[in-house]
Amino acid sequence: MIDVKHLELLANENRKKIVQMIYKAKAGHPGGSLSVIDMLTAIYEMDVDFHSEKRSKVVLSKGHAVPAQYAVLCSKGIIKEEDLGTFRQVNSRLQGHPHALDIPEVDATTGLLGQGLSVAVGMAIVKKHNHENNHVYAILGDGEMQEGQIWESLLQAAHYKLDNLIVIVDYNKLSSSGPVNEVINLEPLAEKLKAFNFHTIEINGNNMQEVVDALNKAYTLTGMPIAIISNTIKGKGVSFMENNPKWHSGALLDEEYETAMNDLNRAKEEIQ
Amino acid sequence: MNYDMISIREKIGEILCEFGENDSRIYVLDSDLAKSTTSAKFRDKYPDRFVETGIAETSAMSIASGIASEGQIPFYVNFAMFVSGTAWTQLRQAAYANLNVKMIATHPGMDDGPDGASHHANEDIALVRTLPNVKVLIPSNIKELKQAIKMAIECQGPVYIRAARDVVPNVELEQDAHMGKSIVVEDDGNDFALIYEGTATAIAYEGFEALKEKGYKGKLINLFSVKPMDKEFIKSLASTVKGIVTVENHSVLGGIGGAIAEILAQESQHAKLAYVGVPDVFTESGKSADVKAKYGLNVQNIIEKVESVMN
Repeated sequence: MIDVKHLELLANENRKKIVQMIYKAKAGHPGGSLSVIDMLTAIYEMDVDFHSEKRSKVVLSKGHAVPAQYAVLCSKGIIKEEDLGTFRQVNSRLQGHPHALDIPEVDATTGLLGQGLSVAVGMAIVKKHNHENNHVYAILGDGEMQEGQIWESLLQAAHYKLDNLIVIVDYNKLSSSGPVNEVINLEPLAEKLKAFNFHTIEINGNNMQEVVDALNKAYTLTGMPIAIISNTIKGKGVSFMENNPKWHSGALLDEEYETAMNDLNRAKEEIQ
Repeated sequence: MNYDMISIREKIGEILCEFGENDSRIYVLDSDLAKSTTSAKFRDKYPDRFVETGIAETSAMSIASGIASEGQIPFYVNFAMFVSGTAWTQLRQAAYANLNVKMIATHPGMDDGPDGASHHANEDIALVRTLPNVKVLIPSNIKELKQAIKMAIECQGPVYIRAARDVVPNVELEQDAHMGKSIVVEDDGNDFALIYEGTATAIAYEGFEALKEKGYKGKLINLFSVKPMDKEFIKSLASTVKGIVTVENHSVLGGIGGAIAEILAQESQHAKLAYVGVPDVFTESGKSADVKAKYGLNVQNIIEKVESVMN
């Protein structure tokens, strides 16, 4: 039985780590890291067992959200807490985008948008061939859905009926320039994914109960790959960042850092 | 030298089947050209380890990365233009992660003559050899193709094998090919060294014979391993012969001539160097032999370049 409250607290702690990393580095992508962290926390807690040789894999295709991945890996004991402060610095293994050679538990080297879903398709093909009982997750950004390669790999995933593949679209509605659907409209997104032969689930991706339910549902679906459209808020959890495209990337001033940490400490009390 | 001609490409599928029989890690990827590249033979024999991506080369390269991430050895077999060019950033990511992605690039240079300049991969060596972790091997005959594929299977990291579609001399050299080593095919003296990449073997042989007939005594070198390159061998060659000429089915920019120039430019003294290859232009449609002859790969050009570096 999944303890949703435990996951909510963990996600909140991970949010703090994200803010701390980006504050210290004076660079990074807070908005998309904060929007996806609930989903990422749940996936790693529910389905990624680092002690198992044949385990589920996570491809963070929206690689700029790597602070979220580092925060989770830190909570799993794979990255030391003191190393988080080296993010984006010379001689650190915490690169600005995921690099598997630096951290083997990072399952895929990403950063160039559009490529990660194909990598996940390759993993899922092998796992299916080997009859492994686990999953491959591809975490995509909504802006990333504008990349042509995404649609190539959607076709391929469906063609090979990769029901061990779970595609997450972190639909926070904003990209670097502003509202993603004003940059290039993705809608109707769910209909598109359904038409591409995906089991398609739509949820509030910042509601942990909905996240857990969606993942549990995904584990029961067969015959086609699964897409979870995870409607989220960019910058979720930090008052001044929420829904503000300015926080796609950027550094925090001292007072902004304090406000952010106060917001997250208050959220912790509310969860408890 | 007497020899008949053979196409390296025709053996790709067959050789992959041979290795695939005893090594279940081997996967083959195709983007709707399995017949042209002969990877269809692998598809027919091992359909479970054959991944057809459709006409989606960028995704194919990344899928190969995913397959490699799961401990398998994917071979992406496709035209050189698509493997090196269309999917370049995807290959670059695979190289950044040093993934075990292997490529067999067919129809290199002007080998796809009639299709025209859009399909002439005259820049692929330049594109792939600049990527860290990528090894670049160019077999000149069937035996070397097989050895190159074996090397690719046995080493960790991405390997780019440039495989001629056009015919090459059906000559089996006594020497085995090795990663990081070149092969001295003939050694008649120190007037010159003619260094060729495998897909330019035919014209290099013809040029060497013509130079012999003119009374020059030189060396004929099959470069084979473009990266890693045997730098010490190239340096010692440059201090032994009067001049070096490279012959490549590729642009003279950034190919094997460029790679050798990068090495020699750092030496205080070295033999003069000249390039036989495609000048900095786009080519055109025609029989591959005709296109090659028009765009630099002809005996007369080889003789002129060799004579220019000897004096």
